[in-house]
Amino acid sequence: MAESSNYDYLFKVVLIGDSGVGKSNLLSRFTRNEFNLESKSTIGVEFATRSINVDGKTVKAQIWDTAGQERYRAITSAYYRGAVGALLVYDIAKHATFVNVTRWLKELRDHADSNIVIMLVGNKSDLKHLRAVPTDEAKSFSTENGLSFIETSALDASNVESAFQTILTDIYRIVSSKALEQATDSIKPTQGDSIAVRPTLDAPSNDKAGKCC
Amino acid sequence: MIIPGEELEDGQPFASRSRPLIKLKPEEIVNDPFRNIGGGLAHLNGDTRTVSRKASASSTTSLSRDRSIRSSRKHKIVDCLLAQDVNLADLRRIAWSGIPDEVRPVAWQLLLGYLPLASAARAAALVRKREEYASLVRLTFARGREGLDQQIWHQIEIDVPRTRPGVRLWMESATQRSLERILYVWAIRHPASGYVQGINDLATPFFQVFLSAYIDSDPEQLDPALLPEPVLAAVEADTFWCLSRLLDGIQDNYISHQPGIHRSVKRMGELVARIDAPLVEHLRNQGVEFMQFAFRWMNCLLMREISVRNTIRMWDTYLSEGPDAFSQFHLYVCCAFLVKWSDKLRKMDFQGIIMFLQSLPTQDWTDHDIQLLLSEAFVLSNTWQNAQSHFT
Repeated sequence: MAESSNYDYLFKVVLIGDSGVGKSNLLSRFTRNEFNLESKSTIGVEFATRSINVDGKTVKAQIWDTAGQERYRAITSAYYRGAVGALLVYDIAKHATFVNVTRWLKELRDHADSNIVIMLVGNKSDLKHLRAVPTDEAKSFSTENGLSFIETSALDASNVESAFQTILTDIYRIVSSKALEQATDSIKPTQGDSIAVRPTLDAPSNDKAGKCC
Repeated sequence: MIIPGEELEDGQPFASRSRPLIKLKPEEIVNDPFRNIGGGLAHLNGDTRTVSRKASASSTTSLSRDRSIRSSRKHKIVDCLLAQDVNLADLRRIAWSGIPDEVRPVAWQLLLGYLPLASAARAAALVRKREEYASLVRLTFARGREGLDQQIWHQIEIDVPRTRPGVRLWMESATQRSLERILYVWAIRHPASGYVQGINDLATPFFQVFLSAYIDSDPEQLDPALLPEPVLAAVEADTFWCLSRLLDGIQDNYISHQPGIHRSVKRMGELVARIDAPLVEHLRNQGVEFMQFAFRWMNCLLMREISVRNTIRMWDTYLSEGPDAFSQFHLYVCCAFLVKWSDKLRKMDFQGIIMFLQSLPTQDWTDHDIQLLLSEAFVLSNTWQNAQSHFT
């Protein structure tokens, strides 16, 4: 409980993509450093968090892992609201999951904030001999659609840390530059004031003064 | 002398510790599921004597009372089941408080209306239903894999191996092929919902319970390929039909937009607001929505929250409550289940609450915990089920 307020920024991120591409394992690898070859399917949504350091600031990621099956779309899309980032995951060994990325992008356009930062994630990069989606194909798709791109393996942990670090840093840069814009307008002096006022309000010495009269 | 199918004095199936043990002539149980229950009655009489002798020697009176209650309930249910025409009202009343393992397969099938109440009609009904399922399977898979709905098949194919990861029975190929057929045939026959993730979970209690009729060991440790083919076919067919009956009552949970679940979650929120206002107030202040945790409770009937063993005990009561229990009574169980953690939850913030509810500490729950939960739910349902007009 106490831990949860120790952050400078809180970012809501969603994990989306077809069923069985490894979304839940990416999340458990990132938040708990765990991987399960046979883990149960996600029903509805599941939640986990982790804090990382970006530019000396603590950025806390609140990640919602969603069920991939079509039938759950109505419930999962409700979680896109307020999300500042999305990891759109496909399986590099299953071409159909890459083809469906277009449909997932449409889902995001329909339900998420228009400024949402999207990263395309080709998971299961350890399955080299089964690769069905060439890296170049995914890379050029990402460029065309303005997404960042990375290949990961939740199984051998490669690039998982980097994927989350990258998207959270991207979000941080956007958010902090916006905050800076706002700050340069007129907010700067008031921030100083409010800090000065606070201690006097809470100061115990006031009690004494009150009783005196 | 120990005969397969008999029990040891301590009430444990005698081979449960070691290798799987198949009952004598399992093929005969296929068409006469009551076959061992008659014998079981004679055996139970012997068992009672042994227990009382043992108990007086050890002078643990509460244990002996416990056992005699259990054994008298066993007698009651066996008497009820052995009637020419089973009295459903009696069976429901007795079964509500839990069904002994030995008679659970037939009791569930009677409660679900799968087995006819009249004993004379049963053998023919079973033969017919199993043949019907077998022909559905033949028809459905007649054109091989290419003839299947690829989207549905793909989803089932990736979900079956992760239905109960790590449990031997569910890792065996024979079980997985059975489950695939059950789920696919059901999905094709119910196009409004098709296969929805979580329905695979709901098939597992039936399969395990029905399997238990043919063995004297823990079904979860069994490779069903060891069973004679007609036995496995019967378990599969019975599971299919009983799962179908269960799902008939909760189809709204799985059709487009899942209105049944939305309705139940909304209703649950309203109920808990009446039962435990401070908890609901706290959840609201923390920004926790019921949908964030209770969706799964409805979609998988709490099977992701409690063990299969606990689920089986819970279904004794649900099946005794009647056909609506999996949507109606379940709602009250979910309310009681949430309120159970109220003190803890009210000390947590948003993150703590969501994480806690996602992996509840129910691993050590026994039948006793489930019975308590069911009793609490019963009280709630008596208080609130006719009070719908009070909701605004």
